[in-house]
Amino acid sequence: MQPRNLLPLAVAVAWLAFPAAAHEATAEVTRDRSVAVRARTHDGDGLGNAVAEVFSPADPATPFWKGRTDRNGWVAFVPDAPGRWRVQVVDPTGHGVVATVDVPAPGAAGPGPASPPPASTGASLARPVVGVTLVAAIFGLLHAWGRRSRR
Amino acid sequence: MHVPDGFLSPAITLPAWGAAAPLWYWSVRRNFGASATEALPVVGSLTALAFVVQGLVVPVPGGTSAHLAGVAILSILYNPGVAFVCESLVLLLQALFFGAGGFTVLGVNALAMGFLGPGAAWLAYRALRGISERGAAFAGAYVGMQVATLAVALALGLQHRLSPAYMPVPFEVTAVAMMAPSLTVLGIVEGFYTLATVSLLRRARLLGAG
Repeated sequence: MQPRNLLPLAVAVAWLAFPAAAHEATAEVTRDRSVAVRARTHDGDGLGNAVAEVFSPADPATPFWKGRTDRNGWVAFVPDAPGRWRVQVVDPTGHGVVATVDVPAPGAAGPGPASPPPASTGASLARPVVGVTLVAAIFGLLHAWGRRSRR
Repeated sequence: MHVPDGFLSPAITLPAWGAAAPLWYWSVRRNFGASATEALPVVGSLTALAFVVQGLVVPVPGGTSAHLAGVAILSILYNPGVAFVCESLVLLLQALFFGAGGFTVLGVNALAMGFLGPGAAWLAYRALRGISERGAAFAGAYVGMQVATLAVALALGLQHRLSPAYMPVPFEVTAVAMMAPSLTVLGIVEGFYTLATVSLLRRARLLGAG
């Protein structure tokens, strides 16, 4: 084959390589930029497979990310702007939570400590006890006040 | 069952507060005056019981869970106004001290779980008690649970229609997810719970009870 016949072939191969580059994808793994939020029910279980949306402080009306929690109730995202981010998780029965996450500006002090761990079994047992005590106190006071006014 | 803070916009929560406030005023004046003093210990005990049963999670098919309401008893033994005030108190304490439900959605939750549900329970009980007192108590609680659940689902569905940013799940999904366990499990459990409690308390000849 003559060298001058190879020129169009070389141009054609080079031309085809450009669109191929547009379909290329690469992976970047980082372990220090993401924010993870876990939605829990009041008894401590993760709110798994629930609808989740993340809202950026730059556009609080349009979801920055939409999806579902994983089976343990986790949502993870990588914020691209500092400020107060909002994470909303809701299951079809209306159970859910709205959490806010403060993301510091680049170079600023890192985020504060994570939120406290979920309520322990002792705390969940305390809930009905505290509730009953509060209700008893309110009705006890009403009863005493009513008897006093009738005298 | 009740809606947490952040899932309903002011377009729904403010009118709900506006509707609930005069009902609270009227119900308190009518049912918690000086003449009701002798009934307060029992009403308080049933309110505390409602607080406890609303914290007990009932597993339902599909991997989710739900809870009873426990206030149909107050509606059947006394009247819907008593149930409305007591359920509102339970919701207020849950919102203030335990982060369940919320203050902005208190009007919606109180109207759904404290007014519409117990109101429907009272109407069904009144309509059926001539046939069977026990059957009427069961049916009243069952109907009340369905009405309260449907009201919450409607509020969430309306919010999705107004602005999906607050409630991303559409009414069709919410209604099925909420009504299916309510119709098949919760209503029946609530019915038996109410039947057992009302039967027990009827024997005690409560002061102030209807």
